[in-house]
Amino acid sequence: MTITHHISKISPKLVLIVNTIFLALLSSCSRVDHKQSALDPKGLVSQNQYDIFMLSVWITIFLFCAVGGCLLYVLWKYRAKSKEEAMEVPEQMHGNSKVETTLILVSAVILVILAVPTLQGVVLMNRVPDPNDTATLEKLKLDKSQIEDAITVNVTGKRFFWVFEYPQYGIVTANELVFPASKAVRVNLRTEDVIHSFWLPKLAGKMDLMPGQENFLWFIADEDKIRKGIDPDGNPYNVDAKVAMPSVFNGEMRETIFTKQAFTDEFEAVGGLFYGQCAEYCGNSHAYMSFRALAQTDEDFDKWVLKFRNAQNPNLQPSAYMSESKYSKGDIVTFSDSTIGENVTREYRAVKVANKGQTPSTQPKSWEKVHSDDYEKGKILFGTQGCAQCHAINKTGLGAKGPNLTLFGLRTSLAAGWMRNDEESLDKWLRNSNEVKFGNLMWNGEGVDDRHPLRQLEDDDEKVSQLVTYLLGLK
Amino acid sequence: MATESIKYAAPDTETKLETKVFPRPGQHTSGIVDWLTTIDHKKIGMMYGLTALFFLLIGGVEALLIRSQLWSHNMDVLTNRQYNQMFTMHGTTMVFLVIMPLSAAFFNYLMPLQIGARDVAFPRMNALSLWCFVAGGLILNLSWFFTGGSPAIGWFGYAPLTDTRFAEVIGDMGPDFWIFSLQMLGLASLLASFNFITTIINMRAPGMTMMRMPVFTWMTLIVSFLIILAFPAITIALVELMFDRTYDTNFYDFLEGGKPHLWQHLFWIFGHPEVYILILPAMGIVSEVIPVFSRKPLFGYGLIIFSGAIIGFMGFAVWSHHMFTTGMGVVATSAFSILTMLIAIPTGIKIFNWIGTMWGGRIRFDTPMLFALGFITMFMIGGFTGIMHSSVPIDAQHQDSYFVVAHFHYVLIGGALFGLFCGFYFWIPKMSGRMLNESLGKLVFTLMFIGFNLTFFPMHYLGMIGQPRRTHSYNEGHGFETWNQIATIGSAILGVGIAIGIFQFINAFFNKKLKPAGKNPWDARTLEWTLSSPVREYNFARNPIIKSRDQAWENNYGAKENHSEKEPLDDHGVHMPDRSWYPLLTAFGLFVLVIGMLFHASIGPAGELVRDYTVAICGGTIAIFGIIMWSLEGPAGYHLFPKENEE
Amino acid sequence: MSDASAHALDHHEPVTSTGIPNKKVLMWAFLGSDCMFFGTLISTHLIYRKISATVGGNTLDVRDIFDIELTSFSTFILLASSLFMALAVSAIHKGNLKSTRWMLFGTIIFGSIFLACQVYEFTHFAHGKENVNGDLEHQLTLSSYAGKTLEEGKDAVLEPHVFGSTFYVLTGTHGTHVAIGVFWLIGWFVYSFTGKMSTADAMDIECCGLYWHFVDIVWIIIFPVVYLMEYAF
Repeated sequence: MTITHHISKISPKLVLIVNTIFLALLSSCSRVDHKQSALDPKGLVSQNQYDIFMLSVWITIFLFCAVGGCLLYVLWKYRAKSKEEAMEVPEQMHGNSKVETTLILVSAVILVILAVPTLQGVVLMNRVPDPNDTATLEKLKLDKSQIEDAITVNVTGKRFFWVFEYPQYGIVTANELVFPASKAVRVNLRTEDVIHSFWLPKLAGKMDLMPGQENFLWFIADEDKIRKGIDPDGNPYNVDAKVAMPSVFNGEMRETIFTKQAFTDEFEAVGGLFYGQCAEYCGNSHAYMSFRALAQTDEDFDKWVLKFRNAQNPNLQPSAYMSESKYSKGDIVTFSDSTIGENVTREYRAVKVANKGQTPSTQPKSWEKVHSDDYEKGKILFGTQGCAQCHAINKTGLGAKGPNLTLFGLRTSLAAGWMRNDEESLDKWLRNSNEVKFGNLMWNGEGVDDRHPLRQLEDDDEKVSQLVTYLLGLK
Repeated sequence: MATESIKYAAPDTETKLETKVFPRPGQHTSGIVDWLTTIDHKKIGMMYGLTALFFLLIGGVEALLIRSQLWSHNMDVLTNRQYNQMFTMHGTTMVFLVIMPLSAAFFNYLMPLQIGARDVAFPRMNALSLWCFVAGGLILNLSWFFTGGSPAIGWFGYAPLTDTRFAEVIGDMGPDFWIFSLQMLGLASLLASFNFITTIINMRAPGMTMMRMPVFTWMTLIVSFLIILAFPAITIALVELMFDRTYDTNFYDFLEGGKPHLWQHLFWIFGHPEVYILILPAMGIVSEVIPVFSRKPLFGYGLIIFSGAIIGFMGFAVWSHHMFTTGMGVVATSAFSILTMLIAIPTGIKIFNWIGTMWGGRIRFDTPMLFALGFITMFMIGGFTGIMHSSVPIDAQHQDSYFVVAHFHYVLIGGALFGLFCGFYFWIPKMSGRMLNESLGKLVFTLMFIGFNLTFFPMHYLGMIGQPRRTHSYNEGHGFETWNQIATIGSAILGVGIAIGIFQFINAFFNKKLKPAGKNPWDARTLEWTLSSPVREYNFARNPIIKSRDQAWENNYGAKENHSEKEPLDDHGVHMPDRSWYPLLTAFGLFVLVIGMLFHASIGPAGELVRDYTVAICGGTIAIFGIIMWSLEGPAGYHLFPKENEE
Repeated sequence: MSDASAHALDHHEPVTSTGIPNKKVLMWAFLGSDCMFFGTLISTHLIYRKISATVGGNTLDVRDIFDIELTSFSTFILLASSLFMALAVSAIHKGNLKSTRWMLFGTIIFGSIFLACQVYEFTHFAHGKENVNGDLEHQLTLSSYAGKTLEEGKDAVLEPHVFGSTFYVLTGTHGTHVAIGVFWLIGWFVYSFTGKMSTADAMDIECCGLYWHFVDIVWIIIFPVVYLMEYAF
C-alpha cells in the first residue's frame, strides 16, 4: 500500500481528531484573560450571551461526535477491503422513511433547546428590565437601585473615533467611556457618517450605529467578576474594589494601567479596564477605531463627573483679572504675561488675599502661575497650529470634527485606543500621526494639506514638547 | 471528433440572412474562432470553468496577501486602503467570479448530458451568458487601474460607505466598477438560468421524468430558480446605488431622506439565496459522487430533492439574520432567528441521507470520494457555526468578527469549493477522456484539507477573543498573533494544494500520457456515463429512451426492462445549430456600454459637470445590432450522421 | 465560405417534454424574474412614501405635483393597447397577416401615446408649475423637491428629497419596459412588410404579447400604488 492510500483511509478520521482537539481547545481557552475576549464575560448581558454560546458549543460537539462517529463507523464497516469487493453490488436500497422521520424530529427537538434561551436572550439584550418587576430582577440577581439609577450615554461614531455624551450630566468625552460598575448603562448609538458598530465584548456584545436611526444597547458590569484576580499560581482571589477599579478622576487609573500593561503580550488585567472596537467596516482606518470603557466605583464615578462638569462649565472658566475686584486665596484669573508672547494671557492663582489693584505683575507675591511656561506656550500653539479647529477642550463642542480633549491628561490611551497616552507616544503622534495610524483624519482630513502647520511639526522639537506638556497637563 | 463519420446535409432552405461582416463560422471551424463563436454547451462549460479557475488564482493571491498582512501585529505588507481593496476584491471575486461560474461550468457541461438533451434550449443565449460573465470579470479587475483603484467597500458594499459623500479618494471610481461589473455578472447568471430552467423543464429525453432526473440536475433547476428570483433584488439595489452615485438621487443618502437600512435589506434578500446558490450545486455534486463510490443508490432521493427545494424556498425568508445587530427590534430578530434555525433541519436531512447512502455499501476512497467526505465534515462544521449565529445573543458577539469569517469559509471552501473540486476529480475523465493521477489527487486533497483547517479553524477562536473582521491591522497585546500565524501558514498550504489541483485539471486536457478513461471509469450511475469520453459534439447519436433513475447503472446491473432504449436512427441526421458571432458581439457591445457609462462624466473647463454619452451609445448600438442580427440569422445549422455506436 | 451551402434552416419545431414551446417557457421564466424587479422597486417606493413627506423644510403633498387626469387617460390608453395586442396574436394564429399588421400598428400607436404622456409628465414635474405670479413651484427632480413659493418674484427653493428618486426610477423603469416593447413591436411591424411573416412566427408574436400584457399588468399595480393611493390615504 502506498502512503497516499494510507492517508486516504485516515483522512476522514483526521477530520474528527483535528476538529475535536480544536473544539476542546476552544472551550478550555475560555478561562484565558484576553483584553477583548468574549470568552471572558464581565457583565450580565455578555454573560448571558456567553452562556448561550457555550450551550451551542456543547450541542455542536455532541452532534459532531454523534454524526461524525456514525460517519466513521459507516466508512470503516463498509469500506471495500479488496478490489473484488469493490466490484460487488450491494443491496440497492432507496431509503427508509421511519429512520428519516425520526432524525427530522430529533433535530427539531435539539433546535428547541437552543431556541428557548435565544428568545429570552433577545429580550434581555434589547430591554433594560423594569425596576418594578421584582421577579425578573430577582432572577437576574439585580438590585432595584441598579436599574433605577442607570446612567445614559449617547455614543456618536465618527470616522474614526467615538464621542461619548452623558446627557444627564451635560458632559462630553471621547474614546474612553467612564461608567459606574454597579449601575446599568443605557447606550444610545448614533452616527454622523457611515455605519459603525459598538462592540464591547466583555460587557455587551455589539450593536450597529446606523445613519439616520438611533439604536440601543445596555450593559451592567458585574463588580464581583471585576474584582476577581488570578495569582501567578493560577489561584483565584478577590481584590479590593478600589484596587480593581482605580479612580480615573485623579489619574490613578492611568498610572495603574501604565505600570501593569504595555502594548505587548506582557499583560496584567486591570479589572476596571475594558476594550472595545468598531466592528463594522467604516473606511480606511476602520482597524484603528477602538475605544475603552473604564469601570468606576460609585464614589469615584461621581467625582469624575464633578470634575468633568466643572471643566466643561463655561461659567467656571477663569475670568480676566479685574482691578476693582478683591481676590481671595485660591481664586484663578487670567492676566497678560509678555514673557510668553505678545497680548497673551495666562492663568494665575491667588496664594493669599489680593486686594484691589494688586495685579499679578505688580504684586507677584500674592499670585502664582497655575501652569508652567511650556504648558502656556503649548496652549497658545494649540490655537495657532490649527488644533482648536477640530478639537474642543473644556467645552462640550458636540459638533467638533475631532475628539474632545477635555481632561486629556487623565486618558489612558491615545488615538482612539490605539496607543498608550504617555509623553513618548504623544510626541510620536504629534510629529507624524500618519506614520502611527495611516490614513487618520487628523493628518488626512478635510482642509489638512502639506501647508497645514500640523504637518510642519515633524522636526520642531520645541513646539512638540510644549504641546505635549499642555495636553498631558490637562487633568 | 470523428469527422469521417460526418456527412453534410443538403441545403434544404436558404438561411434567413447572410452578412458579409460576420459570416457564420461553418461546421469545420477550429482554433480560436471555434472557441469564440461556439454555442456547444460543453465548450461553453469548459470556458466557464477555465475562466473561473483563473479568477480563483487571482482571488487566491489576494487572500494570501491578506493573510501575510495579518501575520503579526502592525504589519505593513499592505497599506490600510490596499488591504481594504484586497478583501473587497477577494470576496467579490470568490463569490461572483469563482464559485458561481464554477457551478455554472458544471451546469453547462453536465445538465444536458444528464437529461439526455443534445444542447441547452437556447445555445446562443448560453454563449452570451459566458461572454457577459467574462466581460463582468474584466470590468471588476480593470478597476485597479483607474482613479481610486479597486473598490474598498467590502463585498456587500454597505451604504452609505458607497456614497460619493464618503469617498476617501476624490473621484473614487472603484464602487462604480463594482456596480457595473455586478450588473454584468447578474445578467450572465440570469441568462444562463432562464436557459437551464427551459432546458430542464422542456428538453428531457423521453422517459426522463422529473423524479428520474439526477440530483445534480435537480439542484441546477433549484439554483436557477433561486437566481432568477434573487438577482432582481440586487440588480435594482445596484441601479438605485448607481443613480445615487451618478445622478445624485437619494435612495441611500441618509442626510437627504434615504435609508441605508434599505440597502442591507435588498442586498441580503439577494444575498441569502445567493448563499444557497453557492452551496446547492456542491450538494448536488456530492449527491452524485457518494452513491457512485458506495455502489448504492442515493438514500432518500425524494427527500434530498425536497430538502433542497425547501432550503431554496426558505432561503428567501431568512435574509435578516445578516442584520441582527442593525437594530431591527425584538420581534423581527426573534422571528428571523427561529426561521434560520429551521433551515438546519433540511440541511441536516441531506447529511443523514448521505451517510444512509454509504450504509451497507462498498465504499471506495478515490479522490472524488475523499473530497465528498471532506465536504460533509467541513460543511457540517460550517453548518453548526451557522446555527450558532442564528441565535441572536450569540450573534451579538460573533457578528463581524473572525468567527463569522471562519463560518462562511467553512461553508464556501469546506463546502462549496470542496464540492466543486470533488466534481472536477469526478467528471474531468468524462470531459477530457483521461484519468487524473490518483496519488496526485490524494496529495491535493490532503494539502487542501490540512491547509484549510489550519487556516480557518483558529479563526473561530480569534473571533471569540475579539478580532474584528476587515481590520488591516491589530494592536499588540490581544493575543491574536499566534493564531493568525497558524492561519497564514495554513493558507499557504491551501494555496499550494489548490494550485496543484488546477494544474492537474488543465493538464488532463493536454497530457497524452494519462490513462484513457473509457466510457464509465467509476462504474457510475447517471446518463452521461453511457457516452464516450470526451463526449462527442452531438452528445447522443440517437435520443435515449429512459427507463429508470440511475440509467447507466441499470443498463449494467439492472433488470432487462430497466435498460434504456434508443430512438430509431433518423435519416434526417442530428441537427446541429450553427456557431455565431453575435453573442460575442452583443457582450462586447454591453462591455463598451459599461465603459462608456463609467467614463461619461468629466469636469468641463469652467468646472461644470460635462456628461458625454457617445461611447455608451456606441456600445448600446453595437449590442442592439447584435441582438437584431441574432434574431434574423436564426438558429440555422447543419446535420450530422453519426454511426449507431458513436456516442 | 464553403460551408455556406451547409447552412440549412431546419425548422421542425422540436418536441418538448411539456408540450409548451421553449420560447414560451423562457418568457414565463423571464416574467417571473421581472416580477421581482418591479416588486423591489415598488417596495422601495412604498417604504419611502410615508417618511419622504417629512424630510427638509418643504412638506411634499404629491397631489400638488400629479396630474391625475392625464395619468388616468394614459392608463386607459395602455390598457386599450393590450386589447390590440391580444387581437394581433389571435390574428397571426389564424394566419390573417393583414389584420396582424394593423393590430400591431394599433398597439404601437397606443404604446407610443402612453410613452408620450410619460415624457410630458416627467418634463412637467421636473420643470415645476407656475403659480399666479409666474413663479415656479412644486418642482420635482431626481434628487430634490421645491415646495410652494414663499416670496413673490422668486422660485421655490429646491431641497433634497427622496420622493423624486423613487418615483422617477420606478415609473422610468416601467417606461423603459414599454419602450422596449414598442421597439419590439415595431420590429414585427416592419417584418410584416418583408413578406416572410407566416403563422410560423405566431409563437414569437405570442411571446411578445405575453411581455406586453405583463408590462400592462405592472402598470395596473403601479398606477394605484403610486398615484391613486396618494389621493386615498
